[in-house]
Amino acid sequence: MPFVCFAILLCSCASRKVFTTNYYSGNEKVLTSIEQSYKKLYQQKHFSVAFTDRSFNYVSFEILTDSIKYIYEFDIRENKLHDTLIKYNFPAPEVISLVMQMRSIQCSWIHNLDYYTNNQKQSMVFMSIRHISFHLPFTSEKYYILTFYSQPQYYDSEGRLLANRRLRKLRKINDDIFHRINDKVCYTVSERFR
Amino acid sequence: MSLLNPYIRTVFCVLLVCIIWLGGTPAFAYDARNTDTTPVSTKKAALDYLAKHRQLPESKYWLNVDPDRFVQNLKNNIENPLGIYEGRSTNFCAYAALSYLPLHHDPLGYTVFMIELYRNGKAMYGKEYFEPSREVKLAAGTLTFKGELDVRPADQLWFMALADHFKGYLNFFDKNYNSGDENKLWAAVNFAKFNRMIRRLFNYDVVAVGSDLFRPGIRDIYEYLSDRLQKGTVALFVNNLDLYKKNHTSLKIDVPTHFVILLDVEEVDDDKIAVTYWDYGFRSRQILSPKFLKKLIFGIALCTKKTADGR
Repeated sequence: MPFVCFAILLCSCASRKVFTTNYYSGNEKVLTSIEQSYKKLYQQKHFSVAFTDRSFNYVSFEILTDSIKYIYEFDIRENKLHDTLIKYNFPAPEVISLVMQMRSIQCSWIHNLDYYTNNQKQSMVFMSIRHISFHLPFTSEKYYILTFYSQPQYYDSEGRLLANRRLRKLRKINDDIFHRINDKVCYTVSERFR
Repeated sequence: MSLLNPYIRTVFCVLLVCIIWLGGTPAFAYDARNTDTTPVSTKKAALDYLAKHRQLPESKYWLNVDPDRFVQNLKNNIENPLGIYEGRSTNFCAYAALSYLPLHHDPLGYTVFMIELYRNGKAMYGKEYFEPSREVKLAAGTLTFKGELDVRPADQLWFMALADHFKGYLNFFDKNYNSGDENKLWAAVNFAKFNRMIRRLFNYDVVAVGSDLFRPGIRDIYEYLSDRLQKGTVALFVNNLDLYKKNHTSLKIDVPTHFVILLDVEEVDDDKIAVTYWDYGFRSRQILSPKFLKKLIFGIALCTKKTADGR
């Protein structure tokens, strides 16, 4: 019995490491496609998408207007999402295609996140992917978080994301330290998905 | 006969006491009630006051708070009270939620306090005397990676001064500010502390139901909330994981962690309730089932103004 427990623990650690190091390169095409589609759609109308359940059947769709944020929940197997998108003048086929792409890679949340550098507002695309390969009972859920920037970012010698070039301070998002994937993309593993 | 006669003098004194008692009490009581009213003011009064302090000199207490940005932040809050933002991943949601009251109903009181605190490093607000710790004074204006809060030094100062001053049982093990504590228990707020802050700072009547662990036993949540909204400002203490629906794990801690201001409830199709609330500097509207709404809410605080005629 102790051997089995040890083996399970070992497998879970190994799978997590593999997940973080290889995930982006293995799924780069679809991840980039999701990011680009979202960015394009967000320019037309501001919104964010979250899958709220473990089976990726229910989606929370947040529509941001100048004065109010509408939060809807839909079963993606029904037509209500489509009807609501039409009601709010979204390009429904493109948005539904984005939602389905997210579902295909267990992406729990996509959002346009504002941040500030030298008092200047910037934005990035924030994406969380649920790590469902193995999950020990009574442990908190882990998410693979990817952030996509418009500009190349600064990193320290260990590949950790820095606040800016002058300030050698680590940039934290939701209190997490991020690591370099490439000049414009970073990742972390977090218990928070948004 | 003269007043020097002991009998006459006694009768005179008794009569005098009676006159004061009967005639004086209502006036005295009226005055007392007058002093126990909730202060209110207008946006214009606050902006006029702020205009007089536009050239605020740099504070020797708040070294990292730029005076121009501080004044601009106050102006933005007065002009757009719903825009106050607690910052990403901080525990400032309660302080932002209670700011709804002064920013909507007494912006002048809020502005005077903020200017005083900035200039003198100490100030009175309602029944509370604030003199934030040195650590807080140094940290205000330096918080980063919190989204828009990064560029709102007055809000950083306000939230940190409140967190530093008011303590509840959640703050027992983390009473003094250290870097990063804005995300930790130092800034946490339990339901009783939230209600106490509103009573002490803004002199509101606060009628609260619910607690930090158990939900209030309300049969018809829609009726209850719509009735409360008619009477005053309603704050809700909710489970944030439920509010921003997340059902990714079977093991969920069912506790409230987030304060919002309820703005409207409306019955919609399929026996659902459309709930409009304020949080994170924005109004949000969600359609929820009554069952889910009841599950979400752990505390309801009704805040009503105290008025001179007791109504």
